[in-house]
Amino acid sequence: MPVVRLQQVTYYYPLTETPALQDINLEIEEGEFIAVIGPNGAGKSTLCYTLAGFIPHFYKGELQGTVEVDGRSTQDSNLSDWVLRVGLVFQNPFNQISGAKYTVFEEVAFGLENRGVPRNEMIQRVEEVLEMTGIADLAARSPYSLSGGQQQRVALASILVMQPKVLVLDEPTSQMDPIGTREVFGVIRKMAQKGMTVVMAEHKMEWIAQFADRVIALWEGKIFLEGKPQQVLTDERLAEKGFGVSRYTTTARLALSRGLWQAERPLPVTLEEAVSGFAAIRNGQSKGKP
Amino acid sequence: MNICVENLSFRYPNGVLALQGVSLEIASGEQVAIIGQNGAGKTTLVKHLNGLLQPTEGRVLIGDWDTRKYSVAKLAQRVGYVFQNPDEQLFTKTVAEEIAFGPRNLGYSKERLQTLVEDALQLTQLQAMRSANPYDLSPTWRKMVAIASILAMDTPILIFDEPTTGQDAASVGRLATIIAELKQRGKTVITITHDIDFCAENFGRVIVMGNGQVLLDGSAKEVLGQEAILAQTFVDPPQITRLGLRLGLTEVVCTPQEFLDVFETQCAA
Amino acid sequence: MHERLSFYVKRESPLHQLNPLTKLTLIFGLILPAFLVPFYWTPHLLLVLVVFPLAFLGKVQGEYFNAATRLILPAAGFLFVMQALFIPGGEVVLARVWFLTLTQESLLYAFANAVRIFVMISSFTLFMLTTHPSELMSDLTRRGLPGQFAYVIIATLQIIPQMQAKANTIIAAQRSRGLDTESSFSRRIRALVPLVGPLVFGSLVEVEERAIAIEARGFTSRLPKTSLREISDRPLDKGLRWLLLAMMLASLLSRIWFS
Repeated sequence: MPVVRLQQVTYYYPLTETPALQDINLEIEEGEFIAVIGPNGAGKSTLCYTLAGFIPHFYKGELQGTVEVDGRSTQDSNLSDWVLRVGLVFQNPFNQISGAKYTVFEEVAFGLENRGVPRNEMIQRVEEVLEMTGIADLAARSPYSLSGGQQQRVALASILVMQPKVLVLDEPTSQMDPIGTREVFGVIRKMAQKGMTVVMAEHKMEWIAQFADRVIALWEGKIFLEGKPQQVLTDERLAEKGFGVSRYTTTARLALSRGLWQAERPLPVTLEEAVSGFAAIRNGQSKGKP
Repeated sequence: MNICVENLSFRYPNGVLALQGVSLEIASGEQVAIIGQNGAGKTTLVKHLNGLLQPTEGRVLIGDWDTRKYSVAKLAQRVGYVFQNPDEQLFTKTVAEEIAFGPRNLGYSKERLQTLVEDALQLTQLQAMRSANPYDLSPTWRKMVAIASILAMDTPILIFDEPTTGQDAASVGRLATIIAELKQRGKTVITITHDIDFCAENFGRVIVMGNGQVLLDGSAKEVLGQEAILAQTFVDPPQITRLGLRLGLTEVVCTPQEFLDVFETQCAA
Repeated sequence: MHERLSFYVKRESPLHQLNPLTKLTLIFGLILPAFLVPFYWTPHLLLVLVVFPLAFLGKVQGEYFNAATRLILPAAGFLFVMQALFIPGGEVVLARVWFLTLTQESLLYAFANAVRIFVMISSFTLFMLTTHPSELMSDLTRRGLPGQFAYVIIATLQIIPQMQAKANTIIAAQRSRGLDTESSFSRRIRALVPLVGPLVFGSLVEVEERAIAIEARGFTSRLPKTSLREISDRPLDKGLRWLLLAMMLASLLSRIWFS
């Protein structure tokens, strides 16, 4: 039984005539990690907002089709209950700070206060999630005094503490420096290993290849490619349409055109795949020499 | 127009020493990337180049101008600075007006103003959006408007602060084209970036900063292969450089072409 | 950098332990008698015998007297001078300066008023120094203040330093585009549009994203909210509030009775 089911979903933002999403059909199994790729404007954020219920509850416009999570549709729920089904973390860490709290601990507890969770349980859940996201040592600091990577982990913790069934991440590291990126992906890796159902829009191919069970490529609001990461991320049509492509794939494709890389060898996405591919080529050539 | 930073130190009013004894020279027409983690002093350094910050010690020369003696508005004739967040500068009703704001402040003639705006629109591929309200564009294109608004000032020196943040592959490609064109025209380009692959592919010279000091300064090849020093500032070498290092290539490589050229010759050997 | 976003000073003191509402009542329990009781020396006595000792009781005497000398004293002093010189009437003329006359009556009146203002600002200062804004809002929300209202107050308090930082960045960005903000007055006025525009637009984007962020954490949930902060409301607090209320009423009555 899939936990997420989108059927024939089409969506128009208010006052627009081209759909931001068109005929999206998508089923996600429990524990699956889905990566969504696509150029800016292809519909990645719109898909994230649709899953998280902000479409149609926050952004009006016209939503057709059904969006179901755990057997209930967004249209039949209200937003403040939906947050227990789908949690959303987005790009800008600064704007995700509630502004109502003075410490990280209070900030993470904010959602539980809103949901009326008893105080003892609240403290226990906040402590657990601070530990999990590696920010326990920041508990007493002001959220505003933290680095981008730390703030983004506070945002992640604030959502994870609600224990949603599905976690939706909209380019969570696009505004991070390298350390911040590593810190945030470190937490996401843990979530993936724990078997959480995750949908992540992201540009960084190397990381996608490490986490994702399935990749969905969006183009002009439609699902344009879908499948295993290696298969989708190395598809020739991506580069033509202006998608980001891993530099390892680009290099191997260039090697292919020079007759260096054998056509039957799958193209690499990650460093490890590229290293083993090129190492094999070198070994093959040295064996072939007289 | 050369840039000369002499023994520059800077202390913020709250007592934090953000730069300590930085000295560097950037020749006219160089393409320089500055990398390093947040808090390393990158932005503090470039804010000295157009006078937004004044040295606590040492001095900065832009050509023959000592930045301590000129206002920011005056230095804008020589140094264009594209800030990280376009939303912190856009204010007009149309893209074309926004682009004209800077050159108009510099007092250019009407004809020159028009030529410069057209040129900037074309470089950033914004022609079709010239009459649009910048606020109606996507963040990706708002960034291009911010860049165009500085390009049109036609300064010999341009500074970009994190131009690739939040941009997709197509937009990063546009940026690379713009930087290449600026190089052709003999402009000096200084870019702060976290995108190490972008840095490897578009900049001849790389400066690595850490703790308010210059840790490394040299050609991209000299700098980007130094895994140990880069690691101090939590930067990984570019993807292609890492691939070369892992395969034991004797030469540091920065682009796919370079990698394959070196790989092929070393396989053949 | 932004660690300190309120006037609150964290200390262990009997004043800190009081319930926020009790302290709020205390403010008015000081202000009303200071303004209403017809006995001339009331505000002066309140200041010396209640406000000053309260600062020590709350262990914030350092911060309080700092604020008192730098902020409250100049404000009250200004009021004193203005009223002493400009309030007409009075028989006993002490001095004549140019067209102004200083009489004993206006002097005494101005002195009492200045002290009243001193008491008023002091009570608010002591309140802010010893009450965490979150605690105040949690307590008031629990007592029925709408959550949205409390949120707006706290978020506004927190946003001010952020707005300042943002305004500085915008000014830097526009100066880098050759905008002259330093020379003549008329140029400065003209420079306002490029500064205010991005500030407003940027804030709109931020407000939208922040609305999504707090909604993603169930902000508009209709369930009864709970609070992480435990706010004590001891019998002592309740007793004090009744006492203060009685005092306020008494000062009101004394005013009516004697006039």
